Amino acid sequence: MRLHAIRYCLEEALASLWRQRWSAGLSVLAIAAALLVLGVFLLVTVNLDRAVARWSAAAEFSVYLRDDIAQDQRAALNAMLEGHPAVASRDYVSKADAARRFARDFPDLAEGLAELPQNPLPASIEVRLRAGRTDSATVDALAQQLRGAAGVADVRFDRRWLERLGGIVKGLAWAGWMLGAVLLTAAILTVATVVRLALHARRDEVDIMQLMGAPIGLLRGPLVAEGLLQGGAGALVALAALYGTYVAVRGRLTEAIGPSLDPGLVGFLPGGLVVLVLVGGMAVGCAGGYVAARQVR
Amino acid sequence: MYGRGIYALRDVSLVVEKGEFVFLTGPSGAGKSTLLRLLLRQEMPSDGKVIVAGRDLARLSPGQAQAYRRNLGFVFQDFKLIPTKTVLENVALVPRVLGATSVQQQRRTYQVLKWLGLQHRMNAYPLELSGGEQQRVAIARALVNEPALVLADEPTGNLDPDLSLEIMDLFRDINARGTTVLVATHDRELMRHVGRRAFSLDHGRLMESA
Ligand SMILES: Nc1ncnc2c1ncn2[C@@H]1O[C@H](COP(=O)(O)OP(=O)(O)O)[C@@H](O)[C@H]1O
Ligand SMILES: [Mg+2]
Repeated sequence: MRLHAIRYCLEEALASLWRQRWSAGLSVLAIAAALLVLGVFLLVTVNLDRAVARWSAAAEFSVYLRDDIAQDQRAALNAMLEGHPAVASRDYVSKADAARRFARDFPDLAEGLAELPQNPLPASIEVRLRAGRTDSATVDALAQQLRGAAGVADVRFDRRWLERLGGIVKGLAWAGWMLGAVLLTAAILTVATVVRLALHARRDEVDIMQLMGAPIGLLRGPLVAEGLLQGGAGALVALAALYGTYVAVRGRLTEAIGPSLDPGLVGFLPGGLVVLVLVGGMAVGCAGGYVAARQVR
Repeated sequence: MYGRGIYALRDVSLVVEKGEFVFLTGPSGAGKSTLLRLLLRQEMPSDGKVIVAGRDLARLSPGQAQAYRRNLGFVFQDFKLIPTKTVLENVALVPRVLGATSVQQQRRTYQVLKWLGLQHRMNAYPLELSGGEQQRVAIARALVNEPALVLADEPTGNLDPDLSLEIMDLFRDINARGTTVLVATHDRELMRHVGRRAFSLDHGRLMESA
């Protein structure tokens, strides 16, 4: 299609939308609502994903030492941790320290522990990781390396809850896409209905142009464009509402947590997803417009 | 054939040569409009063939049918003007939409509007016009593309006799430049004035070829 034909389609579509501004507003809202729901899910999962990645890297783990660890093995372990970029700090917890800590945390059981002929608690090194500087793959690699080192009994790196959270995020994302798909289908049908109404209003004009030899594409074009414009407007409304929600929630969080809230922790959708929402809205509108336009044959 | 066994046209066989000016006459309900609709491919024959420029209209693809219509100028009995567009927009619509934005095309549009005495009504909307003015807009739209074939269904039905004769002269002019013209009318006075070949239809049958 040539440029003036595209211009004609857009002009006709705008005029028709203006004539039907109330019903057009309705389908813009339908698209906006569908995309807003999808957007909220995306925003939540994107942020949870970000948090999971961060917490995975920021976690700490304990390296339990064998009682019979040799001096040089201990030195090798310290050397391994000393130079590692993911490690922020480390504390040595001796067998006696471990017993004291146990007695403090579980006073009822402390007596039983004291009666044992030998302190069963192992000595350990508690390793704290640098937040934000390392990804979870680096941390996993370090844990693996420590686990294989001589003199190490066990490395406890409790990430199960993080994995569970990761699973919840995936489930949420999936539910969001499913719900979004249902709502977007409904939005397509709404647009199709509204564009069909618009077609009905100017059916005579379309029939006349058809009798004068206008190509079918030129008769359908304004209807598809009408859907496209509704979809684009709906996406913009959804993005604005989503951004407003985001700013409000962020404000509440700052209020609740105080200025110590890590500014990088809660973020808006990345640019790629914003474009995806916009293009998705337009695609939904186009689909609805096309469904209606197929009546012109 | 319309509905249950009602033939609007039966056993009609006529040949119009390229460059001819032909009248189609007959009383109301004779089938004149139906014959023209067949030529516009707005209707398909239930039996028989409509062949224009060597091509069977029933065999055209939808795209070819639209291209065929763009080479026709059709004056509808009920005008079929678009009420939401001005006179100028109505006349220039299809050529403009198809990209004929050339100066020549614009000059042609103004020329045709002037021929038909509409130059002062260019920015009016069809419903603001009298029946005669609307009819002239319909004629202007049919002529603006310089079609190879002009089909006019009662093009002077709403015009006074003087203006009717002027319009006929206009059709004669464009016919003299090579355009084939087919005019449906029941106005025998007008036919006598122009003095061309006439086919007469009655009850869907071709009665005579005068
Ligand atoms: N759409 C239609 N459905 C049924 N009958 C029709 C239709 N259009 C025309 N007719 C009938 O076909 C016959 C010819 O009509 P028409 O071609 O309009 O005649 P004319 O133009 O010569 O007055 C008439 O009897 C008319 O009632
Ligand atoms: Mg008629």
